[in-house]
Amino acid sequence: MMKLYIQVLIVAMLLAGCTQPEAKPQEKVVKASSPIEVAEVEDMPIVPLRTPEEFSLEDKRVGIEPKVIEIPSLDVKATVEEVGRLDNGQMGVPQDPNQAGWFSPGTKPGGRGSAVIAGHVDSKTGPAVFYELDKMEIGDDVLIHGEDGKTMRFEVVKKIAYPRTDAPVDAIFGFTYGSGLNLITCTGSWDRKAKTHDDRLVVYTELVELAE
Amino acid sequence: MKFKKSWAAIPLSVSLLFPTGAILTSAAEHEHGGKASEAVSNKAVDLRATLDSILSEHAYLAVITMQKGLDGAADFEAAAGQLGENTDELSKAVGSVYGDKAGEQFKEIWSSHIGYFVNYVTATAEKDEEGRKKALKDLDGYRVTQADFLAVATENRLKASDLEEGLKMHVDQLIWAFDNYGAEDYDKAYESLKESMHHMFGTGKGLSWAITDQFPEKFDNLSVDTKAADLRESLNNEFSTHAALAILAMQKGIDGAKDFDAAAAILNSNTEDLTKSVESVYGAEGAKQFNEIWSSHIGYFVDYVQATAKEDKAGQDKAMADLDAYRVTQAAFLDTATEGRLKAADLEEGLKMHVDQLLMAFDSYVDEDYEATYDNIHEAYSHMFGVGTALSGAIVDQFPDQFASAMPADMPKTGMGGMSQETDYTVLWVTLSMIFIAGTSLVLIRRKTAEQQ
Repeated sequence: MMKLYIQVLIVAMLLAGCTQPEAKPQEKVVKASSPIEVAEVEDMPIVPLRTPEEFSLEDKRVGIEPKVIEIPSLDVKATVEEVGRLDNGQMGVPQDPNQAGWFSPGTKPGGRGSAVIAGHVDSKTGPAVFYELDKMEIGDDVLIHGEDGKTMRFEVVKKIAYPRTDAPVDAIFGFTYGSGLNLITCTGSWDRKAKTHDDRLVVYTELVELAE
Repeated sequence: MKFKKSWAAIPLSVSLLFPTGAILTSAAEHEHGGKASEAVSNKAVDLRATLDSILSEHAYLAVITMQKGLDGAADFEAAAGQLGENTDELSKAVGSVYGDKAGEQFKEIWSSHIGYFVNYVTATAEKDEEGRKKALKDLDGYRVTQADFLAVATENRLKASDLEEGLKMHVDQLIWAFDNYGAEDYDKAYESLKESMHHMFGTGKGLSWAITDQFPEKFDNLSVDTKAADLRESLNNEFSTHAALAILAMQKGIDGAKDFDAAAAILNSNTEDLTKSVESVYGAEGAKQFNEIWSSHIGYFVDYVQATAKEDKAGQDKAMADLDAYRVTQAAFLDTATEGRLKAADLEEGLKMHVDQLLMAFDSYVDEDYEATYDNIHEAYSHMFGVGTALSGAIVDQFPDQFASAMPADMPKTGMGGMSQETDYTVLWVTLSMIFIAGTSLVLIRRKTAEQQ
């Protein structure tokens, strides 16, 4: 019904001549032999100056689910498992000391906000996946491999050790407009009574290359 | 038309579904003693909503103004005027945070990009390819200037490179929408219009995050990034897009424009978005009902447009009566769905505003009172942010578990002590002691045994 109405309207308006843009080029009107041809000339499509590929139309900051973390400067390449939040409110940790744990209720690496991957500094018997995390330098690369061979590159921007009960948890896990990836492990001396290290090391990295 | 008077008599403040408050003011209308992460409205989230509203309306008005400019439409000046008022509002908001001088500076930079869009439209209308190229180059330059301004203002919380990326998307979405409108590929044009409005909600979140992080005490140390806030803004986006696209489709309908079908199609795609949101909360059956009711009111607007085109007063009255009936049905649905958290009477009032604002925007367009058209479009658009806030508030109250923070309260235990020197000594000491004690005991036992023998 609407279509029919529109057709009626179009006819009505062509007759009334009220659809003609003010900005029409004069010489083309002169050349035209009938009102219909005028319409055709005026409706000549506009050609975009840039190819569709050159347009950025979709948000690329959607992130990927991390499968493998690679830290070339430490010669670390480890499988990433998903961890959540424990009943006591702590971030969960990977079962396997040689694997890293991505906090999956939070941001995906490459998404907007702070993605977090934690790894043990040591097991009960020896060094674990993030044993040398404190040796990372500003500018060092962290590579995150997702499914389908997608890889993202992050760069270290700062590293800070906090007392374990006094770390800015909200900021470490929270939103940012950019895409951060924060790596966490233990550092400081071992508190025998609390059965944990005194401090937490956070290596802050930022996205420099999107997934390809 | 005499029924306009009764619409105009409705004070803006009577509706429950009020537009979001001014920047930096609190509007905590929802107090159920929930945790901070569950509040749909607090100082921080309200800031986010305010910025989302202004920024996304900018995208809408920019796309529309560019179309009107190319077409040499009679309402071009009014659309451009409304876009200017939107710039004033945004600059005022920036000024309220960073000072008047910064607000002025912002206005200058922001206005420049609107000017470049106008240059692009003018050059396109004049088939001046060089002029179009220059406008695009100017827009590239604008991105750098705008990004620098915001990076400095937010003390690098927003990074220039991230901002430039976001601004490129904004510029590209508008140019793409315009080029495709000119090329008569209207589906692409309107898909881009919808996306360009959605994109601004990401910008609003980023900017409000930076501001609340920079001035935490002014926002009660609250976060813009909560599940409740995300729901509110997602609904605000879908509802406000509905209002914007409904007015667009009504204008295109009465104009008998070639892009009417595409405008109607994108309005339907928005209805599908809303239906999916309803489904995610109230399930497939609830979503089906919602879709039927919601679609009916779009149909009645179409009836109204058709009646207007035929100058059929009885048809207009019938459409308005149908819209009245719709309000009752829609209100009852939401009252039931939210288990009375949204009251039918309040909802009917809010829906009346929505219906009246759209009809006023349309009638004034037909009457060529374009100033009133764009004022009403602004009212209709902003009103929807109250709708999203009210509905999200009810949903969060109804399903609080879904909106509890998933973030950890404490750092992980990422060590077992195996490489700690202190541990090594402890273990050694304990082990040695055990051996010593065991050894001593053994000796004692042996002695005792020997003595007994």
